[in-house]
This record gives sequence, structure tokens and C-alpha cells, in this order.
Amino acid sequence: MYKYILRRLIQMVPVLLGATFIIFAMVFALPGDPTAGMCGDRPCSPAFVAQFRTEHNLNDPLPTRYAKYMVNLSHGDLGTNFRGVKVAEDLKQRYPTTAKLAAMAIVFETVIGLIAGVLAGIRKGKFIDNLVLVSTLLVIAIPVFVIGATMQYYLGVKWKLFPVTVSSGATFYELLMPAFVLGSASIAYAARLTRTNLVENLRADYLRTAVAKGLTRRRAIGVHALRNSLIPVVTYVGADFGGLLGGAIVTERIFNIQGVGGYTFTSLHNRDGVAVVGTVTILVLVFLLANLLVDLLYGVLDPRISHD
Amino acid sequence: MTTTTDSRAAERAQRTADSRYIPQAGLLLEVDDLHVEFRTADGVAKAINGVSFNLNQGETLAILGESGSGKSVTAQAIMGILDMPPAVIPKGQIRYCGQDLLTMPDDQRRRTRGPEVSMVFQDALSSLNPVFPVGWQIAEMFRVHRRMNKSDAMERAVRLMQRVQIPAAKERVKAYPHQFSGGMRQRIMIAMAIALDPAVLIADEPTTALDVTVQAQIMALLQELQEERQMGLILITHDLGVVADVADKIAVMYAGRIVERADVYELYRQPAHPYTKGLLESIPRLDQKGQQLAAIGGLPPNLMRIPPGCAFHPRCKYAQDVCREDRPPLREVVPGRESACHFAEEVLHG
Repeated sequence: MYKYILRRLIQMVPVLLGATFIIFAMVFALPGDPTAGMCGDRPCSPAFVAQFRTEHNLNDPLPTRYAKYMVNLSHGDLGTNFRGVKVAEDLKQRYPTTAKLAAMAIVFETVIGLIAGVLAGIRKGKFIDNLVLVSTLLVIAIPVFVIGATMQYYLGVKWKLFPVTVSSGATFYELLMPAFVLGSASIAYAARLTRTNLVENLRADYLRTAVAKGLTRRRAIGVHALRNSLIPVVTYVGADFGGLLGGAIVTERIFNIQGVGGYTFTSLHNRDGVAVVGTVTILVLVFLLANLLVDLLYGVLDPRISHD
Repeated sequence: MTTTTDSRAAERAQRTADSRYIPQAGLLLEVDDLHVEFRTADGVAKAINGVSFNLNQGETLAILGESGSGKSVTAQAIMGILDMPPAVIPKGQIRYCGQDLLTMPDDQRRRTRGPEVSMVFQDALSSLNPVFPVGWQIAEMFRVHRRMNKSDAMERAVRLMQRVQIPAAKERVKAYPHQFSGGMRQRIMIAMAIALDPAVLIADEPTTALDVTVQAQIMALLQELQEERQMGLILITHDLGVVADVADKIAVMYAGRIVERADVYELYRQPAHPYTKGLLESIPRLDQKGQQLAAIGGLPPNLMRIPPGCAFHPRCKYAQDVCREDRPPLREVVPGRESACHFAEEVLHG
């Protein structure tokens, strides 16, 4: 078990190096000048530009710059962005909002997805099953910005049930609608995954045994079938959580949420390579760790999986 | 060990006297003119077409037949674990201690599964839940039916695992099904089935998925438990060899009907139905090495289109015109021997 974790942690090193290098190379390969527009309407003075470029190692060849960046990173320094603010400071301010949003989206995904999936699964072929199948297909088919903008217009602007945008404080109430929008596609996937697995497990031999044991239908399904059906769902939701923690560029833009997704977008827009690379490094790390946790959880849920 | 067995036997006798009304001495189960159909989009498959038999206390009845003969469906109908729909029981009764299981309210019938009638399945690996420890799965019987607390139920589970001769039962009670060998898994399945001392135990091809040596051990265990607890045992199999030593009576099924019924010894010595005869002749024998094996020609009938008359006539070498039109009823040929064949006497003596 510990050996497995150690092996997985070591495997993360090349992944992290590869991912950061690719991002690094791509961001700095983008056309555009980071000093453009920094000095108001006038172009910046050559002296300022020269100083800026030396300060941020922009004159070095790519491998040198990457090496310098990684040396700093190994000391825990995510770099300073082009506005002179430490990237770590920016993230510290924004990460709680993103984490909160992701956690709320996951709660929606789990609760609504599971309930819908179970109802559809035990009433296979009936009205509720078709309702779940059609509605989830619809949600999956419609792009998230359409769902987001539509809900924002009706629930926020027209009927005034929820706040239209999210303040920098990002309260629970403000995040309700964005979290639902962010989780919507995942709710649909979780529901379908639950349904499919439940239907499959209801046909399993061990469920016939459970009935032959004289268990109530409720116990046979609720304990025996559900426990088996949830293994892939938990895995999916866990991996999804890792993804959502990377911030939601579209959802954060729609609801003006000051999260990591918006930060990545703005930094990219401003050609602020250091900020992008710093953020993405953290995101990749979070994603890898979340996946490791999911794999460990999988071993706990399914005794047939062994990590020895 | 003896004292516990004795006290358990006494307890069992007491409970049996309390809760089981046995109308006729020792008569546990009466299956009466049972019909089962599967109504599917492709048509109606008539899986069972009028099966009747009785099972007494301490008696072992083997039901023999090819796949599709209806033997497993009979077991599932008795157990009440058929998927309905598509299965329908248009006719017949299954009386347990005088009470018809088929007309019983669902919840009452559920309570009979485990304490009264219990079942062992063919493939123990897929029939046990992969994500719960085996001890937990056995203990569940006590927790659900006897409302026992966790630790008491687990203790009973360990004792049952010891009873079915699982080595180091105490240590292995928390192990999962995939951590056991095939034979051990089937023992666990049996432990679970006998947990609540059922009066009737149905074993549906309990040894088909096992090695030959393990098959013998499992059959010996079943027989031992059956004698110890005086259960009525229904042994469903397609393997004549497996049941020879264990069964008292044999019912041979073909196309959803019992075609021959006899004592094991009599049936082996002198079959009274051409199908049984064919089955017996198709067993490979060492003293006939090198000779052509006498397989039964043709295939079992499609249950959606069972031939008129005797269902076996297209494959039968005794078949005459009468067999194509007239379905022979199950009748007593000589005392204690029943056969559903127009030419049973000729088969018997020929």
C-alpha cells in the first residue's frame, strides 16, 4: 500500500515536468508583447521594456528560462507575475472561491445524480427512467454557457430568485446557481452512470442470492446492488472533483466569479506567462493528487482491487 | 461438540413443532401441476408444463435434465426468485407445509426464504456479493431474520463456516469471496443456505462449476448436512454420476415435464423411458473404451415450439405414429416406477 503510494508519487514527477514544460513553451510561443498596453496609451519607453525583459528573463532562450523557473519552483516559488505580484499570493486569494464552487458542484452532482440514477435504474423502462434519460441527454447536449446564461437571465435577472453575479466575497447563496451550472453536465453523467450500473447489478447472480436469502427488496437493492453500482460512480465523481478544482473558465466568466479559472483566463489574455505556468503547475498537482486519492478510494470500495 | 449438536437438534425440533404445520407425516413440499411460461416479445416459451412431485422430510430428490428441460426454473419457482415478468405462473400450486406459496402475500413469502426454504446456486463466485466479507454475508441471515446483533451474528457465521469445514474459519470470516477457492466458496454458499435451519434445501447444480475431486467433497457435505438436519433436499443436476450416491428418488425432466420418476437404484438398473435410457447410455464407461459413445441424436426442443404428442418423439428410436399425436401421461409402470412413455414396458424390459 505505502509502496504503491510512493510509486505513484514518484510517477508524478515526470508528468509534472512534462506538463509544465509544454505549458511553458506554449504560453511563451504565443504572439504578442506583454509590455504592450502596460504604459497607458503611449508605447512604453525602450528603457522600461529592456528592464522589464531582463527582470522576467524574457531575453533568455526557452530552455534556460524553463530551467530558471523550475529552480525557483523547487524552492516553492511560483514566480512573480508581470504586474509584480507573487503568483502564490494571487492563488491564495482565489483558490478558496474555486474550491468552494467545486465542492458545491460536487454535492449537486452526487445528490441529484445519484437520486435520479437510482430512481431510473429501479424503474427501468418506466416513465421516470425515460424522463431521466431524456433530460440528462438534453443537459449533456446543451453547452454550459447556454445553460449558464439562460439560468442567469431567468432565475437571476427576470425572476430575481438568485443573485445574478457573485461578489468577491463569494457567499454560499451567491454560488448556488453557478455551482449547479458548473455541475450540470456532471450531474447528467453521474445519473446515467448510476442508472446503467444499477440496472446491470440488478441482473447479477448475487442479487438473486440476496432475494433467495429472504431480504426485503429495499435491502437487496439498497445494500447489495447499490454498493456495487456506486463503485464506478464514486470514481467518476472523484476524478471530476479533481477537474473542477482546476477552475471553471466559462462558468466563472458568466457569473463574474473571482476564482482560479478567471485568473488563468486573464493571465493568458495578458500574455502573463509566469502567472499561467504557476497556476497550471498547481492545477496539475491538484489533479494528480485527486486521481491518486480516487485510486486509493477505489481499492477501499472494491476489495477485489489490490494496491499491493 | 456432541452436546451442541444435541441441543441444536432439540431446538430445531422445538421450533419445527412450533412453527411448521406438517399436515401429513414428514410431507414438506408438494408441487402440483406447476406451469411456468416466459412471455417475451418473440413469443411464449413454455418452460414448465405440469410438473408435480412431493418432497418429504429427510428425503433427497434429484431432478435430472438437460439445459432447457425446466429443472432450474422449477427450483426458482419454488424459491420465488423468477423474474416476473417475463415469467408467468398460469397454473399450479406449490404447497409448503400445506400452505400455497404462490398465493401467499409477498412479505409472508419472503420470510419463508431462508428459514423454511433455502437455495444453493451453481456458481458461488458470482452468487456471492463481491464487495462484502463472506462472514458478513452469512451473518446477514441472522441479522435480517432473527434481528440478532452484529457480534452474535458474526459468531454464528464463524460456527457455520466451521461446520462446513472451512479451515481457519475465525481468521477467514472477514475475507472476501474472491479470496477463496471454488470449493471453499461453495461451502460458504452452503453455510449461508443452511444458516437458519431450513426444512427444504434446493441445490441448483451445486457442483457443476467445480473440479471432480471437489465435487465429491461438496456432495458428501450436502448429504451429511441433510442427514444431520433431516432436511428435504432437492438436487438439481444434469450429471447422473453426481446424484447416484446421494439421491433417494430421481425425477427426469424433458421439455418442462417429468418423463420418468423412480428410486435411484431402479432407474439406473432399468430405465423405463427412452430419454433416461439415452442419458444413461451416453455416460462414457471405462469398460467400453474405444467404442462409439451412444449420444442422443438431435437437440432438445425449442420451448416456443414444443412438438405435439410426446415432446421426445423426434429423437426417440421407439417412436410410432401414436407418439406424434398423443402425449403419454406419467403413469405407474410397475409399483414405484412412473414413466411418461407409450412403450414404457418395452423400454423397461427390452
